[in-house]
Amino acid sequence: MIQLQKISRHYPVGFGKNYILKDIDLTINEGEFVSIMGPSGSGKSTLLHILGLLEEPSEGQYLFEGERVDKMNEKKRTQLHRGSIGFVFQAYHLIDELTVYENIETPLLYKNIPASERKSRVADVLDRFNMVAKKDLFPNQLSGGQQQLVGIARAIVGEPRVILADEPTGNLHSDQAKVIMQLFKHLNEQDKITIIQVTHSDLNATYGNRVIQIRDGHIHE
Amino acid sequence: MMWRNYLKTAVRNLMKRKLYSVINITGLAAGIACFILLALYLQNEWTYDKFHANAAELYRIRLDYGEKDQPVTHTALTPNGLAPVMKDFPEVKSVVRIYPATSTVRYGDKAANEKRFIYSDPAFFSMFSFPLLSGNAATVLNGPNMVVLSESMARKYFGTTDIVGKLVKVDNKEYQVTGVALDPPSNTHLKFDFVASYASLGKKDGWDAANYYTYAQLADKGTAAGLQVRLTNLIKEQMGSALRSGVTLGFTPEQLQDIHLHSIAQNSTEQGGDIRYNRILTVVAILLLLIACINFMNLATARSAERSREIGVRKAMGAIRGQLFWQFIAESTLITFCAMVLGVLLALVLLPAFNSLAATRLSMGLGNARIYTWLAAVFFCTTFLAGTYPALFLSGFKPVQVLKGRVLHMSGGNIRKGLVVFQFAASVFFIICTLVVGNQLRYIQHKKLGMDRSQVLVLSGENFNSQMLASFKSRLQQQSGVQMVSASYDSPVAVGGGYSISNLEGKPADYSINITAIPVEKDYLRTMGISLLAGSDLTDADIQDVLKPEKDQVFHFFLNETAVKYLGWTPEAALGKRMVMNGRAGTIKGVMKDFHFASMKSKITPIVVFPEYNWFGQILVKTSGKNDRQVIAGIEGIWKDFLPAVPFNYHFMDEDFNELYQSEFRTSTILSTFSIVIIGVSCLGLLGLAAFTAEQRTREVGIRKVLGASAASLVALLSKDFIRLVLIALCIASPLAWYAMHQWLEGFAYHAGLSVWTFLLAGAIAIMIALLTVSLQSVKAALMDPVKSLRSE
Repeated sequence: MIQLQKISRHYPVGFGKNYILKDIDLTINEGEFVSIMGPSGSGKSTLLHILGLLEEPSEGQYLFEGERVDKMNEKKRTQLHRGSIGFVFQAYHLIDELTVYENIETPLLYKNIPASERKSRVADVLDRFNMVAKKDLFPNQLSGGQQQLVGIARAIVGEPRVILADEPTGNLHSDQAKVIMQLFKHLNEQDKITIIQVTHSDLNATYGNRVIQIRDGHIHE
Repeated sequence: MMWRNYLKTAVRNLMKRKLYSVINITGLAAGIACFILLALYLQNEWTYDKFHANAAELYRIRLDYGEKDQPVTHTALTPNGLAPVMKDFPEVKSVVRIYPATSTVRYGDKAANEKRFIYSDPAFFSMFSFPLLSGNAATVLNGPNMVVLSESMARKYFGTTDIVGKLVKVDNKEYQVTGVALDPPSNTHLKFDFVASYASLGKKDGWDAANYYTYAQLADKGTAAGLQVRLTNLIKEQMGSALRSGVTLGFTPEQLQDIHLHSIAQNSTEQGGDIRYNRILTVVAILLLLIACINFMNLATARSAERSREIGVRKAMGAIRGQLFWQFIAESTLITFCAMVLGVLLALVLLPAFNSLAATRLSMGLGNARIYTWLAAVFFCTTFLAGTYPALFLSGFKPVQVLKGRVLHMSGGNIRKGLVVFQFAASVFFIICTLVVGNQLRYIQHKKLGMDRSQVLVLSGENFNSQMLASFKSRLQQQSGVQMVSASYDSPVAVGGGYSISNLEGKPADYSINITAIPVEKDYLRTMGISLLAGSDLTDADIQDVLKPEKDQVFHFFLNETAVKYLGWTPEAALGKRMVMNGRAGTIKGVMKDFHFASMKSKITPIVVFPEYNWFGQILVKTSGKNDRQVIAGIEGIWKDFLPAVPFNYHFMDEDFNELYQSEFRTSTILSTFSIVIIGVSCLGLLGLAAFTAEQRTREVGIRKVLGASAASLVALLSKDFIRLVLIALCIASPLAWYAMHQWLEGFAYHAGLSVWTFLLAGAIAIMIALLTVSLQSVKAALMDPVKSLRSE
């Protein structure tokens, strides 16, 4: 499903280049649950951002379902971004001014989905996550774990095929983390969503079925 | 609906950041309100007399004359013989004369001296577009003793506008009311309360006295140049042999709609506007709006750090730049909309105050559809101006940087600094202008005029003949508090009479000069405190010389220093020299020290003061200045004994004097008021910026405090950057203001200098205000508990 070929990412330092990622070759198949691990500054997050189209590689090719992402026009990339990828962040990154309901609805707005369908899809997700009662609360009225649940709800409401999660449990204590990880596992197994997470925790990595180690911009599988 | 989502976020953002919202909305509202007021004022100025249906074809005829080798004088007053001749010209469709005459109007027990009283020919109401409420435009002035009242005058005298056919007394003559006109708008130079038929005057047409305005409607605009030649030939023909060689004499048609801002003619029905002031105010209006918009931009982009996370998240959710752009535009629209509503309300509330400030009668015209299109345009311009840059700026954020947790520090800082510099440069510029203009006006008011206009009461002398005046004078002098009484033809501070001197002793026979002169009563020089360099004041015997029958009359002239110098004499040598002034033969009795008898915009020119008891427009009563009210009541009592039928009116000569600088005073007040608004709005912006900087640097301040920094040093740290910006603004604004004010002062023949102190003071004011504004926030930040601020990280 996802193929990276000789992907590098660097930024200029003086006259030379500082590589964050160098010559990454990686294939991820549909339905996998991949954990990317590695020490701080090893390039995990950059890799995730490149996968999520938030950042562009300096060199190399990125194929999504066999199609060259770097050759796509803006419109198609946006479509891919909106339709196939969901994000979950360590710091949740909910929009403070919007309620739970509205936060979850936002990606659908950007996809120009009609109001009635939006309503039913948001309702479905709220129902599934047992958050109907909290739909009119603002993020600062929720606990960290609940906020991350909203974050995940927001990521899956657009029915993506891949969820990219950047240390999704980094700010949570272990009980909450467990709930979140089980949810990911469930989404992966039941909904067949491909999940790629960045994590420091070996425990979290056990929920997935594949671990990719990154060190100094290189992959050690 | 996407827009609903945008709007919801916008409203919640507004509510969440109250200080920010209040600063933004107030600043913009103030800018918009001032812009609306100034725009109304300027619209009034620029549309003067353009409302007449045939405005393009209307002209006023100007008279140009000048003695040999002397500058040409332009006056709007023409002889009344001109109109009847012009009527037969093929290019002239119609022509009317206007003769303004303050008249006493009486109906029942109501009586007043009406200043805006004019006489005019029958075509007046068909030529000019002053709509009549009742009466037929073609016939209302069709015979003697007919009068048309303005609507407000009809209400004042009759309490109703249904008055056609009623009789009013004008200067004790019965006039029939033939019509009621709508009050003339404020954008016409022909503001009247009463129009009486010209035939009522019973004057013979002639060419000797230029006391009438002549207006013509031409068949075609192109014929104006030809008409000028034709009229000039006509007057030369009329004057015939009376026209001395070398004398310039001619008529020039001036387009009606250009009179207010462009006419060079003196003696107009209304003091003209000054196009330069209008340009300045246009700049002020635009600057005000711009500065308010800059505030908005600065505050919106200063919040970028705060908003960046939201932008990053939205982009990660699949938002593209365009969608975020419109989200921020929606927020701007919401804020400008609130500001617009508040601004319009503010303008409505302030309009009466503005009207009295600017001496206008403007109205918003909310019943008119045009104002709404116009306000909508202002709204869109403001939204566009204020919203575009922040929207572009904010929507351009790269999500990765934000999501990686990189702190965005006040990005876009240079543009923002540039905008702050611009705001403060404008503020400093206007502070300097306000100071300089104020200084010049003070200079004018306190400059020794060479005469003493203080405590001089001016009464109308129109209804007195010379015997009556003499006994009135002696009665007044018995009144306690009255020091001196005299009379003159026109106001001593604005002498207008144009004469010429010839047959000067010791000069060639054909030598003559143009000169200003004023007929006066015996005690004029003493009453006005004009001092003599040579010769002596008038005696009773001198007055007897003047009162003799015409052939035995001997005149006694007082020339000013400038006149004597012009003639090449010393003051002593001038004494006793024979001369003739417009047929009045006599000798030079004295030489007066120079005094200002006209605006200080022009140099003191030669003037002649001479006794002549034909007609006095003004009775001058010098009072002690004590118990003014009692003294005036006493004078009124005496007036009633002499003229029971004429209402008693008076004013102080200071008012006449101030009237000379009316447009300066008015502009000065408008300028200083709006300068304050500009400064205020700029400060609001600075306040907001300082608040955000302080907030952003909370952690730094906390660390510094833990390391032992004093509160004072922290305030200095936080204020330093802003003060530097204000200093840069000062450096930019000062030369510009110097240049502008230098130009303005050049317009005065007598002016105060431009001093360095003005600039230093302006700089000090700007820095003080900026410092105060910034320190409000920085002190708060500096006094904060460091533990708290560090923990919040």
